[in-house]
Amino acid sequence: MSAIDHYIQAVILHGQTEARQDGSAAIEAHHLLLGIAAQEGTAAREVLTSAGLDRQAIRDALDREFEHSLGTAGVSAASFGLPAPTPDPDRRLNLGASGRLCLERGFATATGKKDLRPGHLVLGILEAELGTVPRALTLAGVDRAALATRLREVLADGSW
Amino acid sequence: MVACMPADIPEPQEPADALAAVVALRRLADQLEDAAVEQAMRAGWSWPQVAEALGVTRQAVHKKHVKRLIAAGVTLRRRQ
Repeated sequence: MSAIDHYIQAVILHGQTEARQDGSAAIEAHHLLLGIAAQEGTAAREVLTSAGLDRQAIRDALDREFEHSLGTAGVSAASFGLPAPTPDPDRRLNLGASGRLCLERGFATATGKKDLRPGHLVLGILEAELGTVPRALTLAGVDRAALATRLREVLADGSW
Repeated sequence: MVACMPADIPEPQEPADALAAVVALRRLADQLEDAAVEQAMRAGWSWPQVAEALGVTRQAVHKKHVKRLIAAGVTLRRRQ
């Protein structure tokens, strides 16, 4: 397996842990973004961090989007007093529709498999105009277009 | 503002907001199901009781939650 294969596998594995923790039925794009933010030693992670998006900041932005969207329907997650469920540590999750789509888009931004690097995967996630990730980033005041431009510059430098 | 809606519930303005609310409510419902089933089973409810309360089959609720609850150390009543 090549370095990018190992990297993608690590991102998906981390995404699975995130999905289990928030009780999701599948690994979605926002779980993969958290997985990317958790893998050290990539230029893509540095670009995210310099835009204020470390793993915890992304998690916080996603939580705010969740509360905000529930609020649109007049619901608050905090209004239910149930104890948090115990996650299943062994539950195997598949990629959800948004997870698959962002990977496909990421692969398409690279010129062939040999060129594929972590930054391309972030570009694939940022390409989504609709859904949880763009809503969370907008609420957090992140300029997605500027972030994508910076990623393309870093990728053009040949950075991993 | 629709007359039957309480004043403190904002109306969805945009399709994107309304659709995002659907996604968030589904996720909340999934989280609540996990929490409520765990709470019931810790309180000694049986699988058929939980299934009937949820309006699903016993097989469905068992398949979805049994591994998680065993891992959580919940003492489960035998399936009837």
